[in-house]
Amino acid sequence: MTIILDPTASLVHDLAEPGPDAGVLRGKKIAIRIDMLWRSWDWVSEIWAEGLRAEGAEVTFWRSCGRTGREGEQAERDYGALLAQSDMAIVGLGNCGSCTSWTIADALTAAAAGIPTIAVATAHFEGLAHNLAKRGGRSGLRFHILPYPLDILPKEQVHDIARNHYRSFLRNFGVRSRLAEQSAA
Amino acid sequence: MAQGWGDGLPLIPPTQQRVQDFLIAGGRFPDELIAVLPPLRAECTVEKIAINAVMAGCTGDAMPLLCAAIEAMADPRFDLAGLNATTGSVVPAMIVNGSIRNRLDIPCQAGCLGGVAGRAVAIGRAIRLIMRNVAGQSIGSTSQSVYGTPGRVAGIVFGEWEERSPWAPLAERRGVGGDAVTVYGAMGTANICDVVANSADGFLDMIAKSMAYPGANGFLPSSAFAETLCVINPIWAEVIAKAYPRIEDVQAYIWDRCALPIDWFRPEYRDPIGNLGRIKPDGRVHLVPTPDDVLVMVAGGEGGLHAAMLHSWGTCLTVTRPVETA
Repeated sequence: MTIILDPTASLVHDLAEPGPDAGVLRGKKIAIRIDMLWRSWDWVSEIWAEGLRAEGAEVTFWRSCGRTGREGEQAERDYGALLAQSDMAIVGLGNCGSCTSWTIADALTAAAAGIPTIAVATAHFEGLAHNLAKRGGRSGLRFHILPYPLDILPKEQVHDIARNHYRSFLRNFGVRSRLAEQSAA
Repeated sequence: MAQGWGDGLPLIPPTQQRVQDFLIAGGRFPDELIAVLPPLRAECTVEKIAINAVMAGCTGDAMPLLCAAIEAMADPRFDLAGLNATTGSVVPAMIVNGSIRNRLDIPCQAGCLGGVAGRAVAIGRAIRLIMRNVAGQSIGSTSQSVYGTPGRVAGIVFGEWEERSPWAPLAERRGVGGDAVTVYGAMGTANICDVVANSADGFLDMIAKSMAYPGANGFLPSSAFAETLCVINPIWAEVIAKAYPRIEDVQAYIWDRCALPIDWFRPEYRDPIGNLGRIKPDGRVHLVPTPDDVLVMVAGGEGGLHAAMLHSWGTCLTVTRPVETA
């Protein structure tokens, strides 16, 4: 009998749980990971940061630049240091192939640190983002998906999208509303 | 194809016997881990390399080159995770130095970047199958490449024509003497033709200025740094080396002229480029940050008249590894 060998390799372990909810925002330190590529993500995250600050959170932005060589090693250290000081992480933007890859990689790093984490991508790259999260061993990673195309829109329109998405973003992140918070108290 | 293992071309069935024969010829232990490859983050063992290489039509004596190439691509500096997922049309090119070029029939002369018959096609295809089957690179699923590139089928595998190069071999200049493979994230290959120049400066001007176009990877406002590669034919190389015997001077010449005035870019590009500190006092933006980032090598036919430019992808950094044969 002729035996044909399998040329593929697969990853067996997977974590289907989303990790901890963001819960209450007041008094929390939130890291927002932005990048060099997408002005639209700068515009979305600045609107969301306003909302988060209004809820009593402290927001810190971290911009991902070159991820290879010495600059990349420094970026790894800086990002690790940021996560160590943060209570939760918002990581974006998956809006191309490689930037989605890095977004998911950075989101998985944050999630692995045990803090509430959400990755943000645009609709065209949603499939890739889920695929990469699953292949990275955490199919349950939280996501918020923004419309596509996003980066070719004017700032005012992107700001409107950010405002329209803010509440659903909070839900996806597992944020508890003030009402629920008061009720629990 | 039904199993999703292929590239559309016929495959040689990887029978146990064929894979065993390949492993024996390759001289490596099958369970030896060579690298963990993204996006699947799966373990690429010697056995997986052998299975895919058999399917591609490769022979066992290519195993050391395949292992070295995979190790090089898995180096974090190469950013394989991003490269395998990108919207860009990139493929890792393999540049081979040393006597292994001759033993494996790696082309470095006419048609070396594609089209010449030889074993490099199967070697390149083996690497591409490994990227599909082990790394999990799949168009529409993990790879978002908008166009792809012909090099994603059988790779870009070529050698440096060291015997006709007036300068030290590329790998040796990168710190690895003898048999070596250099992997470079290539956004395809493009031609530079010149039927007028007859001097070193003439050839180098044409090469450098042709490489400087606004959509080239190095000019992306999101890239703080990049590399670039030009391949010079042996006829031009001989002329150039008479004027510039030191390769560093060739690199510096190309670097200096491979630049665009910032006002060539529309206003919305200028701030992002300026924020990276890339606008020089003379108002120009260079394709790559330093002359060292211009990779230069000699290959191609004796017909002259053409050079080749291979623009890089993202901030993917070139990696050179020794090819260790038993």
